Amino acid sequence: MLGKLALRNVMRSARDYLVYFLTMTVVAAIMFAFHSLIFSEEIMQLYKTALLLAVLIGLASFFVVLIVAWLINYMVRFILEKRSREFGIYLLIGMKKKEISRLYMRESLVLGAAAFAGGIALGMLLQQILLAILYSCIQMEYHIRLEWSGWCLFTTAACYGGGYLLALFRCRRRFRKMNIHALMNSERRNEEIKESHEETKRLLLPVALLFLLLFGLMLFFYKSWDSGTIIGFLLGLVLTIYLFYTGVAAWIIDYVRKKGNGIFKGQNLFLLRQFASKVKTLRFTLGTLTTLFVLALLGCAIAMMFNDFQNQILAAKWPFDVQIYSDDVEDDFREELDVIGQDSEIRDSLSYLIYQNGTNPVNTWLYTHLKCFGDTYKNSDGTPDQAKIQSGDSWAYYRYDTYIALSDYNRLREMNGLDGVNLEEGRYLLHLKERVWNEAGDFTPELEIKSPQGPLACAGICTEPLSQDGHNGADYMLVISDRTAQDMIPYYKMLAANLTEKAPEDLQARLDGIQAQDTYTDFGSHRVTDHMASGSDQIVVFVYKNMVRDNLIPEVKFLLSSIIFALVYIGLVFVCVALTVLSVQQLSDSAKYRFRYQVLHQIGLGHREISKVILKQLAGFYLCPILFAALISGTVAVYVGRKFNFYTGTRTAAAGYFGLSFLLFSSIYLIYFVVTYVGFQRNVLTKT
Amino acid sequence: MEQHYIQICDVEKYYGHGNAAAKAVNRVSFHVDKGEFVGVMGASGSGKTTLLNMLSTIDSVTAGHIYYENTDITELSENKLSEFRKENLGFVFQEYNLLDTLTIQENILLALTLHGLGKQEVLERCQEMLALLGIEDIRDKFPYQVSGGQKQRCACARALVNRPKLLLADEPTGALDSRSAQTLLETFTDMNQKLNATIFMVTHDAFSASYCGRILFLKDGQIFHELRRGGRSRREFLNEILDVLSLTGGELSDAR
Repeated sequence: MLGKLALRNVMRSARDYLVYFLTMTVVAAIMFAFHSLIFSEEIMQLYKTALLLAVLIGLASFFVVLIVAWLINYMVRFILEKRSREFGIYLLIGMKKKEISRLYMRESLVLGAAAFAGGIALGMLLQQILLAILYSCIQMEYHIRLEWSGWCLFTTAACYGGGYLLALFRCRRRFRKMNIHALMNSERRNEEIKESHEETKRLLLPVALLFLLLFGLMLFFYKSWDSGTIIGFLLGLVLTIYLFYTGVAAWIIDYVRKKGNGIFKGQNLFLLRQFASKVKTLRFTLGTLTTLFVLALLGCAIAMMFNDFQNQILAAKWPFDVQIYSDDVEDDFREELDVIGQDSEIRDSLSYLIYQNGTNPVNTWLYTHLKCFGDTYKNSDGTPDQAKIQSGDSWAYYRYDTYIALSDYNRLREMNGLDGVNLEEGRYLLHLKERVWNEAGDFTPELEIKSPQGPLACAGICTEPLSQDGHNGADYMLVISDRTAQDMIPYYKMLAANLTEKAPEDLQARLDGIQAQDTYTDFGSHRVTDHMASGSDQIVVFVYKNMVRDNLIPEVKFLLSSIIFALVYIGLVFVCVALTVLSVQQLSDSAKYRFRYQVLHQIGLGHREISKVILKQLAGFYLCPILFAALISGTVAVYVGRKFNFYTGTRTAAAGYFGLSFLLFSSIYLIYFVVTYVGFQRNVLTKT
Repeated sequence: MEQHYIQICDVEKYYGHGNAAAKAVNRVSFHVDKGEFVGVMGASGSGKTTLLNMLSTIDSVTAGHIYYENTDITELSENKLSEFRKENLGFVFQEYNLLDTLTIQENILLALTLHGLGKQEVLERCQEMLALLGIEDIRDKFPYQVSGGQKQRCACARALVNRPKLLLADEPTGALDSRSAQTLLETFTDMNQKLNATIFMVTHDAFSASYCGRILFLKDGQIFHELRRGGRSRREFLNEILDVLSLTGGELSDAR
């Protein structure tokens, strides 16, 4: 009998809480799809960096489990409250508490299991989409095939089930404490509106807004961030979000009480009161939802940044098919050329020297002027700290300024499809990364460049992409005439080559294999050398000794995709969870609302007007958390986007990253909104 | 035909179709004059609430006409009906039907603001009503904080504040204790006499009915009897009502 009762209740719950059921299905699907990336043997064997993907997705899953546990806990409690009268009746007719709690657990578990089963089916579809996207990112062909691993299923089930157990365990304790009277009355208890000290609480709104403004200003103008400040900042922000909602409700209540002019227009009085009472009772939930939206939007915006980086910068980072660095200025690269020539045809190659002359005016200027270095390389009186600049510890630039001979430079330009340049004797040309040029402008008047023959005058600045993460200089190269170069000291040697066709997939590995393991440091399975500088780029920098473009780009894209996927994963789940709570809140209250709208109908509102009121009410309730979250995450995203552009050289307007992710989330938002609106209207209007 | 304030002509209401059709109201005709306090009595299922719902435009008629002065409401479109309801009718229900998120005063204000009145007028009229019904003290309380009688008086205030042509009351004393019921009915009488409000009340309670000026008795969807109070005292009228009820088989035995 109990089993039958449970089953019938499940059917009813699934119908009443369809949005919750569907979200659990979608969450299980998302979990399964992302986990299947980790457990795909093929992907794990692609690159050694695939471990990063696993770590990031695993980390994301951790947060996802927490948030899903919160959702389940929230929903289980919510449904429990809504059905408390029913449970009270069970108790009245003689069922034991234990039996009821077992009945309810059983129902929850059946509902969860059904959603999980549906989720796995949907997850397989989603998995195909994810794999197709990933493979297209790393420029490999994807053939549709099902990634099926027992471990993947197990992990997903464990995460999902873990969330359930966590939530249900808490619920059991609630059951034990309840008595019949409390159960029968708990429904009524929610409806009581207690208004006290609203006038004082009202002040929380301006206080919260003031704090938000302060946080915004702090973000853009405060300089010395450390982990303590960041934690304080985040805690303060979350607290402010909660204060905001308490303030908003109190402010509206106070406005209505003082009979502000707005309440005398149309249905405003009704709408404002509805909104205020909802916000008042749900202020903690709304605060949590806003926080979730902020995190989701930020995650997505950052994913957009990396995606943009992928599209704009990678091609510019490696203008040549193959580049090889050597400390040995006598190196003829014969071995390397042999390896390259084994499976591919070299269309064009150049081995050339980078020179130095024991001076470092450009390095010094950059170390003391670029924002990213701050005051690290300055003495207390503001003069350059040469000891530090020339110590081997600095990672950005070589110890001395780097020069290249004009003929080599023009050959490189030619290989890169650029026109050659002319340079008179006694002059130099500065070839600078565009990002640095954008920040520093023309600083050559402040430089004193000397060759062994005497001072050199600046003939101009070029900023075409030329692989300046340590290969063709770090950030910059000084181009000098061949004659001047002859009098300088060879610094290191480079090989640049273009191939007639796409490079073989294992070329990078074979080039790395030439040197004995102990000669070079190994980083992410590629060779790096301590002598190389990296330039001032941050976030994504490559200072490998050997670089094969066609091998590296997919690898980097894979790396970046890992970050993007993990962020989108979290973002998606957070948004779905938050929207479910909003949606279920509204829909389950529709019984109460039906009554309210019936009253409105009786005192003279037509169906069309009531539809409009419903739309306004839902829109207000839905827009409030997302707009507030957009305000916060928008500000933070603009700040982070500016930093990202600054460090990587991408050129998208900082607000653009946020705009895109906001657009993406708005569309998910719209789906939930429409579903809720339609359901709500159906529930409310059927019997008025 | 003599012009009445409200005229109900051969109104029928069926539920269901064909053989399964149930007649809730069967060819009922009567009229209500301006300033009358009319009661409708009948056992459960006699069709009295259906009749009220049709009069109040909440439900449609299957056949027949209902005229408010010169307007036939059975011919109006849904939108016009809402407008009509807003302009002409006031409601009082057994379950009060107050909005729980609004205070007592705001419940009354809302009915006024829906009429698009200015702030000053809204506040004045509301104040007037609060004073008239003696609920000024509880104006800032929420419905759950006040007694049933007070809630019902608030509902009355809301119903009357727009000066409707007709006040419709569906078992208004059904959820009240006898003292509150008496106060409310006295209020109705006051409204009827002082404001000349026209009231149409459905009840199965003889005590409540005894406050009316005229009572229609409904059975199986048809009017089978009509009583007028005339110059009699309420007590006498009550006894007469009880007599009628005992004749019908005592179905309405819960008369106080």
